[in-house]
Amino acid sequence: MNFDTTIAEKNISILHVEGKILGNAADVFRREMEQQLQAAQGKLVVDLMNVPLIDSSALGAIVLTLKYCQESGGKLVLLNPQKAVREVLEVTQLATVIEIYDTEESASAALI
Amino acid sequence: MAETILVVDDDLDILELLKMNLEPDGYEVRTASDGKAAVETATLDPPDLILLDVMMPHKDGFQVIEELKNIEETKTVPVILLTARGQTEDKVQGLDAGADDYITKPFDLREVTARVKAVLGRTRPIKYINPLMRAMGSGFNEAGVQQLAGHLQAAAAIQKKLLPEQAPSFQGFDIGILLQSSMSVSGDFYDFIPLSETRIGIVLGDVKGNGIPAALLMVMIRTALRLLCREADDPASILKRINDLVVRDTDATLFATMIYGVMDTVTSTFTYSNGGHCYPLHRKRTGVIDVLKTGSMLVGAFEEATFASNTCLLAPGDIVVFYTDGITETNAGDDSVVNENILVGSEDVKGQQNATSSDVFYGQDRLAACISENAILSASALCEAIVEDLARFSGSTQTHDDRALVVIKRNT
Repeated sequence: MNFDTTIAEKNISILHVEGKILGNAADVFRREMEQQLQAAQGKLVVDLMNVPLIDSSALGAIVLTLKYCQESGGKLVLLNPQKAVREVLEVTQLATVIEIYDTEESASAALI
Repeated sequence: MAETILVVDDDLDILELLKMNLEPDGYEVRTASDGKAAVETATLDPPDLILLDVMMPHKDGFQVIEELKNIEETKTVPVILLTARGQTEDKVQGLDAGADDYITKPFDLREVTARVKAVLGRTRPIKYINPLMRAMGSGFNEAGVQQLAGHLQAAAAIQKKLLPEQAPSFQGFDIGILLQSSMSVSGDFYDFIPLSETRIGIVLGDVKGNGIPAALLMVMIRTALRLLCREADDPASILKRINDLVVRDTDATLFATMIYGVMDTVTSTFTYSNGGHCYPLHRKRTGVIDVLKTGSMLVGAFEEATFASNTCLLAPGDIVVFYTDGITETNAGDDSVVNENILVGSEDVKGQQNATSSDVFYGQDRLAACISENAILSASALCEAIVEDLARFSGSTQTHDDRALVVIKRNT
């Protein structure tokens, strides 16, 4: 797993994740999301286009970050999860509490 | 007595900066400017915490951790790694190697203070036990480890006792179960609760999170379910109550996915609520497989979660299979025959250029195919057939995740 961050207009941070998010990597993933949320005044897009799969630890990381957003008034949206990841989000119904977008523009627009 | 922190970095400015920052908080700070000196200093007089740079010449931070974890005096000393920005693999590798936390360079000094405080707070209770263990001689460590292993075995034994070893016999139905644990304590669970002569409660679930805390949550859910299912009939309202209980009593890292349902032999129906769990498969006698896709939120994470119940009708010869993700997320082995099949059968693999066999899962489609091929078998023989198919697919009889299966067949 690797990260790369870009800043879109209006100070929105876009976290591009690459590779599987499994085991201990999920903890690093969570910390990275939290740091980006702090840096970008609570506006974060997580780009999952290049993430082939996630496990339950990664799900836990997303749950914790959503809770962090609830408490701190931030907002997290997901961009372009691939089939396997999308299925996990749908089965667990996390897809009903987190917004998912297909393009960077629509994801950013949701945070403005 | 002041707590001692050993700071290791080849950059002398950083050493000085950290020393100046930590000393006013009452810590005694020692420094080392390379890996070799770090191991020597730490072994001679073990500190309470080590702040360790990853990128150092000659011996890097990972090598230092590895050595420290192999030395009796230092193996329990907590380590916080200092890693460079963007070096994600370093962070994961560091946690895998046994680091307790990490700080990304360039760092905010307030973050260093906060993390040092948090890690020391977590590890302080252990510190008081360790000298005692050492004082009791080297023999104790072996025994201590064995004792701990004994506790884990005891926990696993209690857990296994809670899970029914045999499927209940229930008039007109054939029920098969299977549980394979990857570790001594398991996150997967199932239970059968007789409600009346003609009704039985069935649960299958997977507690997320690791080790003993996850095992305890499983016991808590099982107990709550056993009590609640006698008070209420609607599976959705039972899951809601369990959800609220878990949200209230545990932290957010623990949650579960689970299906609870009631089978009624008079109406031949299964009424269930699915809390974020893998979709069950319903194979009809005609050969059609229905994926029971109506589900609700995973259990125990969100207070505002709502749950719904659904009913499916079981005709004679119908089969319903419940399973945990350890089944569908079994990785393909290196066997080339298996890989060829995958490239033909799986859409998402074609789209990825660098897909390796470890990116390929057994998946719901293969499970459905296996159920169809073996539909004629008894419920427990069908469980065995699925396990054999998984072994063929992965090239191994071992499993790195827990696996659980419940198969219900209505007799013809």
